[in-house]
Amino acid sequence: MESISRMYGGMNRVINYEACIGCFTCEEVCKFLHNGEAYITLYEVGGGLNKPISCFHCAKAPCVTACPTGAMHRGSDGAVTVDISRCIGCGACVAACPFGIPTIVPPGYASKCDLCEPLRKEGLNPGCVAMCPTKAIVWGDYTTIAKELRVRALKKLIYTSAP
Amino acid sequence: MKFAFMCRESRGGGRGKVAVVGGGPAGLAAAGYLVCYGYEVDVYEKLPYAGGLMTFAIPPYRIPRENIIEGVEDLEKNFSVKFNYRTKVFCGDKVRHDEGDEFVQNVLDLTKLVNEYDAVLITTGIWSSRKLGVPGEEAQGVLTALEYTYGWWIYDSGLSTHKPPVGKRVVVVGGGFSAVDAAEVSHMKGSKEVILAYRRTIKEAPAGEYEIRRLIAEGIKWMDLVQPTKIVVENGRVSGVEFVKMRLGAPDESGRPRPEPIPGSEFVLEADLVLVAAGEIPTPPLEGECGGIKVDRGRRVVVNSRMQTNVEKVFAAGDVVTGPSMVGKAIGSGLKAATNIDMYLRSKKLV
Repeated sequence: MESISRMYGGMNRVINYEACIGCFTCEEVCKFLHNGEAYITLYEVGGGLNKPISCFHCAKAPCVTACPTGAMHRGSDGAVTVDISRCIGCGACVAACPFGIPTIVPPGYASKCDLCEPLRKEGLNPGCVAMCPTKAIVWGDYTTIAKELRVRALKKLIYTSAP
Repeated sequence: MKFAFMCRESRGGGRGKVAVVGGGPAGLAAAGYLVCYGYEVDVYEKLPYAGGLMTFAIPPYRIPRENIIEGVEDLEKNFSVKFNYRTKVFCGDKVRHDEGDEFVQNVLDLTKLVNEYDAVLITTGIWSSRKLGVPGEEAQGVLTALEYTYGWWIYDSGLSTHKPPVGKRVVVVGGGFSAVDAAEVSHMKGSKEVILAYRRTIKEAPAGEYEIRRLIAEGIKWMDLVQPTKIVVENGRVSGVEFVKMRLGAPDESGRPRPEPIPGSEFVLEADLVLVAAGEIPTPPLEGECGGIKVDRGRRVVVNSRMQTNVEKVFAAGDVVTGPSMVGKAIGSGLKAATNIDMYLRSKKLV
């Protein structure tokens, strides 16, 4: 199971929108960790409801496939990141991403979430995951995520059906 | 919540001593940053536990309490943060009474902390509810939304034996998150009929249309374009609320249409419990001025772009600086103050 995970990249992040209360903690922490630029951002989706979106680090990431220079790649640790020395700022990744995640920033290269690589190198969680007050952001390899989401669903089933 | 999200383990407290006054989201986030950068942090908190409004007012079905406790325990056990609970900090001896002061056992002078520590961070939040300013508001059965949700939480957690009231007919006045939470808590706790009354329409309600429609679906009644003019009192107890109907006029300074009363449209709504959610105001540990630390007309602590007050070693962050905001904004503000405290203390060492 683990080897299959690694073959497909191995890392993913899911936002549980039901648990999310739209409090802006993820965006603020991300902004703080990246000199004022947030890679997870909240948008109003109508009715005053704010929800965050960021890179899912897809198993078959269209941005990686579309990138003509190999700048957008999957790192050995499993996260989809940009090698800015190879990026030509063409925007192919921007067009390819079904969620509109990568952006082109001055002086002209793609920029996106790297799941807080420096923190992860020290064995820590990405900032948004660590600080979310509702634990709505789940991160890890696919087996870990599936287990986490299933356990939560189970707890909900058990507790809400209790007399 | 891992407040010390930037490091795995303590780096010792040798870089200096920082006092954090108020252990809500802003204070805890700042404490987490500072311990990762080698500071010794003492938190002073008037309540018996940390987390501020996250722990004591926001309903647990929004933020599960174990998530906050996990982070507080991590700071305490792994990063030697000292939490001084039931301790209110205030400047001088004329201590102002705020909401949530029931547990206070010790009062410390702010100037003493300023003298003893290398830096002080004020993150005392917004523990005072705005009044409606109508006759009868002091009657029994009229509570602020904050008092009510806070009252239920301290009762449910066993910190208090005083059970907050449920009503036959509850009128909640307001359209923000405090109003929404008070209405929902009252409904969940068994009040028969809960009416949420707001002076503008659902489109202008600060809690947002989605949240209000969610409450309506749960069985809470929504009444818009009404403003209370008086609390009807019988034998010292509330028996109803007199409202005047409103219409929307030209946009005011907030950009929202200004509600204007329609003369002669007054009517009385019977109620045995009234919850007022007219907004909260900052509760800094001082009144007016304290050795150079100043507050503005809205009682917000005055800070510069580095979150620093007029006293160079005193910083402030969170709702006490911005007024009522969101958990994330308070956390962002606390982190910003913490970086600036670190920079300030480093630059002092260079001199």
